[in-house]
Amino acid sequence: MTTRSRRIVLPLLIFGALLLLWEAAVPLFRIQQIVLPAPSGIAHTMVVTAGPIAFHARHTLVTTLIGFGAAVGLGLLLGFAIGASATVRDALYPLLVAFNSIPKAAVVPLLVMWFGIGAVPAVLTAFLLAFFPVAVNVAVGLATLEAELSDVLRVLGASRWQIFRKVGVPRTMPLFFASLKVAVSSAFVGSVISETVASNAGIGYLMAVAASDFNTRLAFGGLFVLGAMGVLLYGVFAVIERRMTAWAYAD
Amino acid sequence: MKALAEVSLEIPRGATVAFVGPSGCGKSTLLKLVAGLLAVTGGAVVVDGRPVTGPLKNVGMAFQNPVLLPWRTVLDNLMLPLEILRENGDPRAGDRQTWRDRALTLLDTVGLAGAGDRQPRELSGGMRQRVSLCRALIHEPALLLLDEPFAALDAFTREEMWELYRELRRAREFTGVLVTHDLREAVFLAQTIYVMSSNPGSVAHVHEVKMASPRTLEQLFSAEATELIRLMREQIRPRREALA
Repeated sequence: MTTRSRRIVLPLLIFGALLLLWEAAVPLFRIQQIVLPAPSGIAHTMVVTAGPIAFHARHTLVTTLIGFGAAVGLGLLLGFAIGASATVRDALYPLLVAFNSIPKAAVVPLLVMWFGIGAVPAVLTAFLLAFFPVAVNVAVGLATLEAELSDVLRVLGASRWQIFRKVGVPRTMPLFFASLKVAVSSAFVGSVISETVASNAGIGYLMAVAASDFNTRLAFGGLFVLGAMGVLLYGVFAVIERRMTAWAYAD
Repeated sequence: MKALAEVSLEIPRGATVAFVGPSGCGKSTLLKLVAGLLAVTGGAVVVDGRPVTGPLKNVGMAFQNPVLLPWRTVLDNLMLPLEILRENGDPRAGDRQTWRDRALTLLDTVGLAGAGDRQPRELSGGMRQRVSLCRALIHEPALLLLDEPFAALDAFTREEMWELYRELRRAREFTGVLVTHDLREAVFLAQTIYVMSSNPGSVAHVHEVKMASPRTLEQLFSAEATELIRLMREQIRPRREALA
């Protein structure tokens, strides 16, 4: 088996084994379905409610991606500014770190107060969680540019802007694409948190409703969907990363 | 803090001079002053009759770290200077084909014929350093500044690089300024060697290397060369001890 397929097959085998263990444990220990439903029951509910689940999943996906997209834009901008200028870095970086240390779930009630219940707070929460990793990675990529390399170009008459474009930006790309994986996962977390608290659509909302109905199966179903979506989003950006910056992974 | 004090010297066009001395004697600072990458706080640097006020444009530089761009092939690394010159409307830019030919000729000279399409990561340290030298020379600068360019290479590769420099110099006219810790390197490559002392950096001794050119590695074992190396060693060592 190739290393590549091993990395896909082995985790799947373990996941399957855990599901079987779970399936066996529920009747064995006489666990009530309302506390912990068996995977087969969860799967059944997921099939029956496939329509609504798909609708809510799409909603979550859209809010996540909108928030993520805005975060990438601002993250790039901030990262470039911080990486290119020591003054901007000294002025903004501490503030960014301080802002990032605020648990974003705590901001949701404010967002709801301003924008009401719905997709807007979800998009904004996704955005707030996702821009930081992008900004930091881009800034680090630019700030660690070898001084010798700029010297080589400066004695050719290259301007700072030219060095930025020709060397700084391409050199930062591996870090940028690596940050996208992290950022999209963060955006996903953000929109689900917000949906759970204040929305009328999305998987987070679906799970909140299921929990209030004591519909444990559906709540678990939502959890599985979230897991799958999270892995998928991460995977897509991991593949993009490999494709775009193959030169950084030669060994 | 003052990195350099009382350095006054003149480098004749077409010569290669070397600066040797203990770490922290301001050798690299001197190089950056010549290139215009640092501004003098007092005194003046004059290159080609003009005082240096900003980064010079007719200079090539190479460092211990070859700093090639890993996302570009060897050839595209050598084309980077062209892109910069062309964007800036520099008359030296010329057309792409001329540059390509020039890059291929340079690669041939340094023994890397056919390596143009390879990625820098596929090359050994010595090969990368050769590409770095080619990049420093591709715009045909009048002045080549080398800051310990071969320090990270093994002894045999380093000697190959010395011969390579000799060949490059023979093929093309340029003035070379070399900063090095390697006394044999200085003796092999330079016509004049400045021994520097530190705190603040200044030129303590000047040696003319009288060996005939073009030099061979064998000449480094001549009585004349060994005596000069021994002498410079003595001149640098007490300063190191004084620092310790």
